[in-house]
Amino acid sequence: MKLKFRPGTVLASLVAYIVTILIVFPIFWMMVTGFKDEVSAYQMPPGFTFTPTLDNLSQAFQSGILTYLYHSAASVGVATVVALVFGVLAAFALIAYPRPSNGSVLFWLISTRFMPAVGVLIPLYVIFQHIHLLDSLWALIIVYSAINIPLVVWIMYSFFKDIPRDLLEAGRVDGASDRQILMRIFLPISVPGLAVSALLSVIFSWNEFLFAVTFTYTDAPTVAVFVSSYTTSEGLFWARMSMAISLAIVVPILLGWAAQRQLIRGLTLGAVKG
Amino acid sequence: MADITTPVAQTAAATRTAAKRRAAQRQLFLSPALILVALVTQIAFLATIYISMLSWNLVRPDLGIHFVGLSNYESLLTSDTFRTALINTIILTVGVLAASMIVGLLLALLLNRPFPLRPVVRTLLITPFFVMPVATAEIWKNMLLNPVYGLFTWLESLIGVGPVDLLGSQPLLGVGIMLTWEWFPFFMLILLGGLQSLPEDLVEAARIDGAGPLAIFRYITLPHLQRYVAVATLFGLIFLLQVFGEIVVSTEGGPGIASTNLPFLIYRTAFSDWEVGTAAALGVTAVLITIIIATGFNRILLRMTGYAEVEG
Repeated sequence: MKLKFRPGTVLASLVAYIVTILIVFPIFWMMVTGFKDEVSAYQMPPGFTFTPTLDNLSQAFQSGILTYLYHSAASVGVATVVALVFGVLAAFALIAYPRPSNGSVLFWLISTRFMPAVGVLIPLYVIFQHIHLLDSLWALIIVYSAINIPLVVWIMYSFFKDIPRDLLEAGRVDGASDRQILMRIFLPISVPGLAVSALLSVIFSWNEFLFAVTFTYTDAPTVAVFVSSYTTSEGLFWARMSMAISLAIVVPILLGWAAQRQLIRGLTLGAVKG
Repeated sequence: MADITTPVAQTAAATRTAAKRRAAQRQLFLSPALILVALVTQIAFLATIYISMLSWNLVRPDLGIHFVGLSNYESLLTSDTFRTALINTIILTVGVLAASMIVGLLLALLLNRPFPLRPVVRTLLITPFFVMPVATAEIWKNMLLNPVYGLFTWLESLIGVGPVDLLGSQPLLGVGIMLTWEWFPFFMLILLGGLQSLPEDLVEAARIDGAGPLAIFRYITLPHLQRYVAVATLFGLIFLLQVFGEIVVSTEGGPGIASTNLPFLIYRTAFSDWEVGTAAALGVTAVLITIIIATGFNRILLRMTGYAEVEG
């Protein structure tokens, strides 16, 4: 579309810019504060004139944030791979070997996606305690995989469904095994679906807090648990806290930006194609 | 005779074997996903129902575990804490849903027209949705709403309003504003998707027929958006009901229990009172509420899966 200079457009863009600045400001302000010393962090009125320092970064490393980041990365990474493998296979099964029960399988999966975490939290805690998985990355990997599978199946199903069935039949006639058809035809066409499934799985699990704070405490706490432990009462270290939080939130934000083209479709499990 | 039927029988047998093989393949590919999901959601939920009928304190094994039937549920009915948490949950969920929908719609309308840097604006506006919820709460509680050092406090002093401790005096409002900041991008994105799928010629035709922008919005845009609003409402309700980390960090459910919602109450009951029986009963209640909501949106869910069935 061509941009025309009209008063309405100018006004609308101005409003959009101002609103955007206001909305993003808290995040921006926090990231800036991460480079301040503690005195400047509390300065009133808030100022932009300060000498940037990297002290908070070394402070964050000293407080062990790398360990928490590692716990997050490991549990989220493994869970995402598991969810992708299981989810892609399941979505492919629904497409390649359709049955009348497809609808109920999908409906069932979506209903599990809606299951509130508090509806399963307590037995999982008790079971993990019994099998000694409490306070281990495995507890989180199991739970995050299960949470992300319905998401992956739905998104991948929605992408696979757009692939002409003739391609599948042609592949079969040519003597390709179904595994080859999945790997050589379906997956390469559905790379955007694969990407958005992976990105959303990582974002949701990385930011997840309830299971993380319940199932882990000393050996496997994630970075979300670390962030939640910053309380001002413990001593007012805003600058240090800001740097730690910036490190914790930067990955999901970048991934969210990367996913945005397929985001609506992913978030609504294919109900809306943006 | 045999010479004629044998190949046919062979073909039939081959078809049968192929069909069997495919059924087995389907089973093989579906099973890992379905079993894992079933274990962590369905089986665990059945266990929650069972635990909800027990009197069981995790840190007092000496008290033993007793089957008490529905008495955990009965005590919920008379519990003021439960009632408060339920009301807080409803206020927060519905309030944030409405606010996010309105803000999301306004910004979607704004983003639906071309202007310079629109992709950048869109990208920046969705950012709050990706910020870790506990981080969101830290930012709001400390840097914005802190009654001494917060940015809002400073702004209030500029216009001569005394320092307002929003999270202390109006915790639900404070948490609600914070949640709206977090959630409006979700609604904005879905509604923007709706606006962008609105057929251009429909709007053009209405304009030629002399419809003003308001009439176009009322009679063309809004009806078209209906489905998108419904989808956004469904997902919004289900996920807002589960808000947890934001509350833990920003108010710890307080002051008192003024901002305690259902998930926070369940967490507190299970992991600070260690009364897992009661907590499980609360968990079952939360699931029932979710089921009621999802049933209300049955048509959307059925269309999502039904349309899958036709095409599949």
